[in-house]
Amino acid sequence: MLDVHAPFESRVTQALADDHLRTALDRATTRLAERRDLAVAAVDNPALRHEVRAIRQFAITHLPDMLQQLETNLIANGCQVHWARNAAEANDIVRDIARRHGVRRVVKSKSMLTEEIGLNEALETDGIEVVETDLGEYIIQLAHEPPSHILAPVIHKRAEDISDLFQRELGMPPTTDPGVMCATARQELRRKFLQADMGISGGNFAIAETGTICIITNEGNGRMVTSMPRVHVAVVGIEKVVPRVEDAFLLWQATTRNATGQAVSVYFAMCSGPRRPDHADGPQEMHVVLLDNGRSRIIDRGYPDVLLCIRCGACVDVCPVYREIGGHAYGATAYSGPIGAVLTPLLADDPTSVCELPFASSLCGACGEVCPAEIDLPRILLDLRSDMVNAGTSSVLERVAFTSYATGMQKPWRYRALVVVARWATKLLPRNGSGGLTKLLPPLNAWMRTRVFPRFARRSFRRLWRKRSSGRGIEPSR
Amino acid sequence: MTASPVPARDEILARLTGYLTPEPPRFRGEAEPLPTVPMTVTGAPSGDATLAAMFGSRLEDVQGTYEIVDRPGDAAEQVAQRIRLWCPPLFDDQPGAPTQVLAWAPDEIGVPNLENRLRESNIELLVPGDLHEAQVRHKAAGLSVGITGVDAAFASTGSVVLASGKGKSRSASLLPLHHLMIVPASRIYPTFEDWLRTLRQAGELENFLRHNAQVAFVTGPSKSADIELNLTLGVHGPKVVHAIVVDDGTPTGS
Repeated sequence: MLDVHAPFESRVTQALADDHLRTALDRATTRLAERRDLAVAAVDNPALRHEVRAIRQFAITHLPDMLQQLETNLIANGCQVHWARNAAEANDIVRDIARRHGVRRVVKSKSMLTEEIGLNEALETDGIEVVETDLGEYIIQLAHEPPSHILAPVIHKRAEDISDLFQRELGMPPTTDPGVMCATARQELRRKFLQADMGISGGNFAIAETGTICIITNEGNGRMVTSMPRVHVAVVGIEKVVPRVEDAFLLWQATTRNATGQAVSVYFAMCSGPRRPDHADGPQEMHVVLLDNGRSRIIDRGYPDVLLCIRCGACVDVCPVYREIGGHAYGATAYSGPIGAVLTPLLADDPTSVCELPFASSLCGACGEVCPAEIDLPRILLDLRSDMVNAGTSSVLERVAFTSYATGMQKPWRYRALVVVARWATKLLPRNGSGGLTKLLPPLNAWMRTRVFPRFARRSFRRLWRKRSSGRGIEPSR
Repeated sequence: MTASPVPARDEILARLTGYLTPEPPRFRGEAEPLPTVPMTVTGAPSGDATLAAMFGSRLEDVQGTYEIVDRPGDAAEQVAQRIRLWCPPLFDDQPGAPTQVLAWAPDEIGVPNLENRLRESNIELLVPGDLHEAQVRHKAAGLSVGITGVDAAFASTGSVVLASGKGKSRSASLLPLHHLMIVPASRIYPTFEDWLRTLRQAGELENFLRHNAQVAFVTGPSKSADIELNLTLGVHGPKVVHAIVVDDGTPTGS
């Protein structure tokens, strides 16, 4: 795996040099995108997108009311509600619950939010064993890697890689049969589920009117984590709230159709509090941690749209940049692809610390077209780029270049003069077989490392146009 | 924890209120008003097929299996045969210890004469008391078949609703490798949205969720596609899900 802490350019170079990675990415993202296309073509997708947008935008606009209603109902259902401003507070809350219950072993279902706050590491410092139970998350945990896709975390690994890992870590006999590998994981993780003292989940939606945390899974680990251990802790972002039960059902179906092309996921667990006294199973305590960690600040920063995201991953699979470089090139972050390129800087205390991410896009617009919440991702990427430049992240050279460009373009005569000079200047430089330039003078040389500068045409468009239109009564441009 | 004079709750709510009022947040794009009732996303298939047949065929689409039993009186026989198919006796002449299956309370499964018929085949229902007790847990964890009823089912997707409750353990549909579910035809709705509307209009929707600690929607066997997008079944939950749809002669929703 590439070094996620290396500088951005180095991460991208490493990713592009990895042929296995690009094969794996190409196969997986193509299939996911095809399945998605079929699944959304089978429903009235434009109407579905409008309604997802309407529900999410309503929830975000009314967040304080929604959250208070959610809290009231969670408490009425017997849940204990905690609020956390940031990662450190959330981790401390969970550690505290674990300490009070003498927890030694924790099982977790997939949660990008706990990945974002580094909860596993926090619990491990207290000597607690934390086991990821989503098959993909379990694999990357064994390999000590971060996820490379928000819903298919081992999209970057081949079956052979996973087999090697299971042979080494779990003593599995050599095989690349996914069924055998899956059975090996089932056996190993079943023991963990039955012995765990605490289960930690995220939450896809939190229903305000009933105080219900909803968890989408296909494997069933969401139900296991929320049913087998004595204590269940759900760590939920404050933006996940929805007003009504019906809204959660619409968002559930929108999520699964866009994520994996399924009409619905295999499991949809709606948790409203601990087990009642006459129930055979279920947690004795249920805790909900409502976490901000930079989400409210995103509204203040002028990007409330980003909070509408339902984490389906559709934008990731269609992104031509993600498809080439994969998730790890986006750095040591939970989120990759177009949504990662906007979410990571917006969640950061200092957005300019990851200023290169909004530029990791060709602005082709595919992400905006597929987004089930109609988030205008290309627009947001552009706005963030503009913010970064205004914050002074661009190099002196770049600023000089663009200032000169702007000056040159302001008057037609300046532009004409520049073209004449450029045409003559480039005649002096080395060319390749088809006449393209292979080298410019420094500093422009850097741009030429991966590109060939085309030869100037013998006659400029402006000259041709003037010639064509002379005597035909068309006014040549000045 | 970082000492702070203002509790996190109050600070977060105050911050949000400050950012969202009096000016509403400026989104890049328009949204319609909150829909009074959200649209039906996955419609029921059209045609003459009964809801039971549609439900079954959708369940097959997601690697489940089903059979339809025309008379409730025949259901117990089908349950016994299905369990024996999954767990054949080792010796024909010597029954030995009974085969135990993890189950909901017989009343909640709703198959007439179930326990008697199973006893004839040397099958015993284990309805767990408290699964946090080590002994019960150990026993339940080793069983390979689970039997449950359902609270509702859906023709549009082949899904069922399993609400946790008294005599309705979550484990029965979760721990064993095989899950046998008894689906009364009268509980099959065309779509999720039909069911939601029915409960909402009866004023029961909110309580249904709040009074049952967990309401699980289950659609076929447990699956994963994490290894190179290869479909594998039975990752954590059941690998085999079979529905016995019992035609109980009552229309949907009653």
